[in-house]
Amino acid sequence: MSEMIKTEDVYYEYMAQNDDEIGVQAVNGISMSIEQGSFVVVLGRNGSGKSTLARLMNGLLIPRKGTVVVDGISTNNHELIWEIRKTLGLVFQNPDNQIVATTVEEDVAFGPENLGIPPDEIRVMVDKSLKMVDMEAYGNYSPHMLSGGQKQRIAIAGILAMNPKCIVLDEATSMLDPVGRKEVMSVLRSLNRDKGITIVLITHRMDEAVEADQILVMESGRIILRGTPRQIFEKVESVRRAGLDVPQITALAFKLDQIGIKTDYLPVTMEEMIKLMKRFLGDSHITTKTKKAPLDKLKSDEAVLQDNDTTVNPIIKVRDLYHTYMPGSTFERKALKDINLTIYAGDRFGIIGQTGSGKSTLVQHFNGILKPGSGTLEVDGLKAEGKELKALRRKVGLIFQYPEHQLFEETVYKDITFGLNKLKLSQDEIKERVFHTIDLLGIAPELLEKSPFELSGGQKRRVAIAGVLVMEPKVLILDEPTAGLDPQGSSEVFKILSNLNKKEGTTIVIISHNMEEIAAFCNRVAVMSEGGIVMCDTTENIFRREDELQKYNLDIPQITKLFRELTIPGLKIPTILTIDEAVDFITEVLNVPAGGGSK
Amino acid sequence: MIGNITLGQYVPGNSILHRLDPRTKIIWTGLLMVATFMINTWQEYVMMGALTIVLLIVSGIPIKQTLKGLKPLLFILAITALLNIFLTSGTPVLIIGPVKMTHEGIISAIKLFFRLVMLVITASLMTLTTTPMTMTDGIEKLLKPLERIGVPAHEIAMMMSIALRFIPTLMEETERIMKAQASRGADFDTGSIFSRIKSFIPVLVPLFVSAFKRADELAEAMESRCYHGGKGRTRLKSIHFTYLDGMVTIVGLLYLVLLLGIRFIK
Repeated sequence: MSEMIKTEDVYYEYMAQNDDEIGVQAVNGISMSIEQGSFVVVLGRNGSGKSTLARLMNGLLIPRKGTVVVDGISTNNHELIWEIRKTLGLVFQNPDNQIVATTVEEDVAFGPENLGIPPDEIRVMVDKSLKMVDMEAYGNYSPHMLSGGQKQRIAIAGILAMNPKCIVLDEATSMLDPVGRKEVMSVLRSLNRDKGITIVLITHRMDEAVEADQILVMESGRIILRGTPRQIFEKVESVRRAGLDVPQITALAFKLDQIGIKTDYLPVTMEEMIKLMKRFLGDSHITTKTKKAPLDKLKSDEAVLQDNDTTVNPIIKVRDLYHTYMPGSTFERKALKDINLTIYAGDRFGIIGQTGSGKSTLVQHFNGILKPGSGTLEVDGLKAEGKELKALRRKVGLIFQYPEHQLFEETVYKDITFGLNKLKLSQDEIKERVFHTIDLLGIAPELLEKSPFELSGGQKRRVAIAGVLVMEPKVLILDEPTAGLDPQGSSEVFKILSNLNKKEGTTIVIISHNMEEIAAFCNRVAVMSEGGIVMCDTTENIFRREDELQKYNLDIPQITKLFRELTIPGLKIPTILTIDEAVDFITEVLNVPAGGGSK
Repeated sequence: MIGNITLGQYVPGNSILHRLDPRTKIIWTGLLMVATFMINTWQEYVMMGALTIVLLIVSGIPIKQTLKGLKPLLFILAITALLNIFLTSGTPVLIIGPVKMTHEGIISAIKLFFRLVMLVITASLMTLTTTPMTMTDGIEKLLKPLERIGVPAHEIAMMMSIALRFIPTLMEETERIMKAQASRGADFDTGSIFSRIKSFIPVLVPLFVSAFKRADELAEAMESRCYHGGKGRTRLKSIHFTYLDGMVTIVGLLYLVLLLGIRFIK
């Protein structure tokens, strides 16, 4: 097999903005080769140099030292740069920022047009490419009417129209919802399998990496691990050190192995794990133990407590809420229908549902940004209208998706105090609140005088969250708080939220597409579909109903799925939501001391 | 709200007007605008009005839709008409205190009103029957001869089409930022004009930051799709003059000559 991409000892650094700073070393001596027709996944946390590597591959960046050779042509060869870009297409992260034209087919035609191909041939290419990504019905659509997944498929079609041999995707799935991600992944798989196109997928999502022929793991501009998914996931500790994580089932087997339930190999697929679990649990002579099922009981107790205990106060009450976008116009759309919902003080409340199901519209009512068409809403006794609106907004902090995009002040301190300044507090009190908040969020005090635009992505997000937290809201609402963050960044955000909930008693409402996050963090969950709430229960009871969730195109966490599919005669298996719960359950059944099992 | 700017939005169709080359439409819109300002007698007004009505019918676009384009201009129309009625000197018809309404004023106001209405209808018929993409293609081709004297025809057209592409995206973004800042305590609706303008800084700064970032990323995306300027570039839908353009131009010219020529015959 021939090599599609070959890099030899490649270095690249970004120029310093000021003379007194050192340039950022983005790629630090990378040598590797990618075979024609293979499916390669490049993993690495934010800032590990993976995007730079992508740009080096198609000559957008030229290495300072070393060579990048694409299909036999070096990117240093300036005259053949268009040849390289025709051979190797690049799909970018943000679906909105790579569509040039005002209609889908003209956008797909953009590449061939640049190559000077005659119009009738372009027409053939465009139709063929749109068909390959399953978008042939959308030729005349305007891009802003498409979903994220559809836009990314258009971007892929735009590359296919140039007849490429290789497609590199730079975190192209990171801004998509699960449905969009599935669409893109299935297109990539069929392009790789049926058309023999080499795929290089850059991501920090493990579930996408499982199917690769080869995985490269990057850290600080270097490739630290390479191999098949199995070879990579077996090195759980190295992967975690690189700020990434392994699939839940692998993590479970690893943890069991550590506490003495030994396994000779680490499973990567569900089938392997089920086999392994059957070996563990099936052989054990434990049928008498199961009567207790202590975990299950404990949880249902908590659920009862939630609903009946009068000491638990409702903090958000929504009754018969309807909302219609642009009523009376041709664009009229019913966004919310007949919403009845109670959220209790101290809840960690999750809202899940497909894109467009009304989740964001609903939470924007909670702080009065949107007004109910009909129905009532009350937060801690306040209504979202008139004089009470301002007081209500102070009680409810709403953090939008990608909140770092709203930073605007000269310094971090000024940005954090933007809302506080309107409360007529003394300077001392403001200062005290700011320091309390940044301590909670782990923002270093020396960052306060920096410009927010100088910070890294993760830091920016924390500053944006601080700007809301500093108002000391009783309820904190977050719309997709970990979107675009790598596994380590995400777990840091959840640590903060969990702290806030426990120490300050803040009620937290969270919208997420990541079921593992919801399962691990929330105590209650509402499922939305087509503007209505279709399920609302304890987290455990929600994820127990897999078939119903599937109807709404929602998944359950991998670990939950594992224990649902596992059938062992004589053993009652509870709904398991996290790895820790799984470890507790297994040690309980096997009668092994849990050891390092729980946190 | 977002995406429902009706003024001049393309309405799909297959009428003669839809099938004309955009260059023909641009040039003719210009010619008709000039003609509208040259007409003066009642006869000419009637002929011009008839032409506008014919165009309206031929376009196959619901009359209502076209007239919608007039709505935002009603205020300006009313003001100019009023100014004309009261400020034109001549035979007074009605005197209210210091202002007087003149016979000449009323006539010129009526004329001006119809002129502006015809002007707006012609212009919106062009945008209603032409996609933004073909429109920019047309502008690019029309400007092509000026490239020799340094007018960057291709770049102008490319910028226009990118702007058109990103208007909805940036509108959505503005709305999102405004909501986010309002959640953080920003107040856009109360206070003095000065403080209201100031309250838009938290919206404008992030909007500009993101627009620059988008521009950067778009440039990268265009470059990786082999964009290197207008040289040697072909188009999926290239525009051509057809038999139809010739016919329309001949008939149109004859009618215009007749319309404007009558006054010289007398």
